[in-house]
Amino acid sequence: MTFDKQIKRRDLLKASAMLGIAGAAGSTAPSLLMAEPAKPKEIIIRAWGGPWVEALKAGVSDPFTAKTGIRVRHDLTEDNEIQPKVWAAVAQKRTPPIHINWDTTTNATKSALRGVCEDLSDLPNLKGTTDLAKPVGVDGYPIVNTYGYVYVLAYRPSAFPSGPPESYHDLLDPKFKGRLAFYNDGIGFHFPAQVAGGGKLDGIPSNMQPCWDFVSKIKAQEPLLGEDPDFVTWFQNGEIDAACTISTNALGAKRNGVDIAWTIPKEGAKFDTDGLWIPRGHSEGDLYWSKEYINQALSKESQQIWLDGLGLPGVIPGLQPPTGLAGDPSYPTKPADFDRLIRISGKIQVENESEWFSKFKAIMQG
Amino acid sequence: MRRNLSSYPLMWRLMDMLEAIFKKIWPKGGGFWSPYLMLSPAILLVGLLVLGLGYIGDASLRTLDTSTFLFSEEWSLTNYERALIEPFIRSVIWRSILGATIVTMITLLLAFPYTYVMVRTRSAFLRKFLLITLFLPFFIGQVVRAYGWLIILGKQGIVNDILGLVGIEPLRMLFNYPSVLFGLIQYMFPFAVLMLAPALTAIPEEIEAAAESLGASWVETMLHVIFPMAKSGMIGAGLVVLTLSLTDFAMPAILGGGTQDFVANAIYDQFFRTSDQGFGSSLAVLLIVIGSFLVWVVFVLVGAGTLAMGAKDK
Repeated sequence: MTFDKQIKRRDLLKASAMLGIAGAAGSTAPSLLMAEPAKPKEIIIRAWGGPWVEALKAGVSDPFTAKTGIRVRHDLTEDNEIQPKVWAAVAQKRTPPIHINWDTTTNATKSALRGVCEDLSDLPNLKGTTDLAKPVGVDGYPIVNTYGYVYVLAYRPSAFPSGPPESYHDLLDPKFKGRLAFYNDGIGFHFPAQVAGGGKLDGIPSNMQPCWDFVSKIKAQEPLLGEDPDFVTWFQNGEIDAACTISTNALGAKRNGVDIAWTIPKEGAKFDTDGLWIPRGHSEGDLYWSKEYINQALSKESQQIWLDGLGLPGVIPGLQPPTGLAGDPSYPTKPADFDRLIRISGKIQVENESEWFSKFKAIMQG
Repeated sequence: MRRNLSSYPLMWRLMDMLEAIFKKIWPKGGGFWSPYLMLSPAILLVGLLVLGLGYIGDASLRTLDTSTFLFSEEWSLTNYERALIEPFIRSVIWRSILGATIVTMITLLLAFPYTYVMVRTRSAFLRKFLLITLFLPFFIGQVVRAYGWLIILGKQGIVNDILGLVGIEPLRMLFNYPSVLFGLIQYMFPFAVLMLAPALTAIPEEIEAAAESLGASWVETMLHVIFPMAKSGMIGAGLVVLTLSLTDFAMPAILGGGTQDFVANAIYDQFFRTSDQGFGSSLAVLLIVIGSFLVWVVFVLVGAGTLAMGAKDK
């Protein structure tokens, strides 16, 4: 063996030390690569405001900044309003205005189908996630789902003295005329309405007539139509007795002292997910650290804090449910919990939602 | 005695300074091109608008492929066909036209007496009061005003509280067509008054006195003298209110509670809710066409009013 080819003892020691440090770091917080590119001063995450962003900050952004030193800025532009800006930036090969979009999976699926999402399949923490993390209807991981949520039937217990409503048909009682609420495009209600109207879920999207028949019956009840904040206000003001809404809104109202409960009627309830994705067009370094952020969001510690704030089930096994939500129908964790939840592929939803929204509005505004 | 330059108004001195700078840069001046140069900012503004409309027109002819969320390379009229066939869009277009027409008529009916009193009153206090009442809403944005109505007319609002005092159950006064029209009328009222005021001011009081001295009653003077002479102001005010109401977004969105969409709301939904900018663009083009057609009809039937800027109708 010549001198050049000999392994020097000092080099061997250095390499062993480096491997030991890397191994130790990897065991606590798996990273994407051993060689870290230059850190950006900040990364920008689009988020929903109020308690949503507070929960994200506490669970993911603050731990990320503490770990990496990178500041996190939260951009509170609406998810559907940032979308055309991101699409335009990618199409024009400009740097997108945000690093990470916290988005509904349905909305994000449109971006994935358009090809503007970076591939996230190499995130180390994906290995420890449940099937819920995988978006349905698209290849690979252009989006990583981070939690699920249920469109529950929220109700005022005093308006249902004999117990929670068992079916959406219970809402057709004349005493509820003018005292029901739905989203103004019907989101969350289309699928249970399909069942309530006598149809089958297999009929989505080819035969939705049963859904529209039942929506017409509900229309006769003159429901209020609104967005997320409206539901909480209407319950608080005593203007409605029941609403089909995301469980987070019902939980938020309850935490604010409103007398409210929720159930999953026999027709079932729509189950959906939100996720995180990175638009194409960022530098290698920004992309690396954006992926690190999402990787952080998939750690058990971050999920526990983030989702405690939202009251939603995450994608890491073994999370502790927030107080009062263990066994709650809006907090499914076991396979049996999903039996009455309706989950339709994101691809089917984005291909048909324009028609569904128009049809719902045509009935409600007719 | 020559006045000290500093005693001239600031604007004059600024203009002198600009003129001096312009002469140094271009001693010969613009000559024949001067008026066109002065028009250039307006041409630039309109040009940008036309450019934007060009993009919208182009997008309106491209259909969305929902399997890729990309727009077609080829042009087609599919989006326009869909807009005219879809019952929801047809009802939205009809609701917008009808609403804009009703709002215009009621606003003009209310604005005329208000403006007349404001212009003719001899009481400085009353004139100031009417002016302040008119301008105050301008300091409050449309959205804030709409939310104000939610507080006043809501089920837990002030009006229902008062009705409750006399034993009347809370009424739902919001989230219906009349509440949207009510909000629009309240929003459009100052625009109409401000457009009418110059027309009524321009009618000399002596004309009214002359009509009365010839035996006309006050009502006859109004019908046969003041209304015809104020026609140009009425048309100008009507056109402004009509076009603003037709394209309004906030009042139908907030006071309609998702049940009374106008075309602008449908455009927003297509752009931002279903990501179909092609269909949204076709609705935008249709809205422009409908608005332009209505204005053209008014021009043909009764002229352009004060918007003609003194040009005689041919």
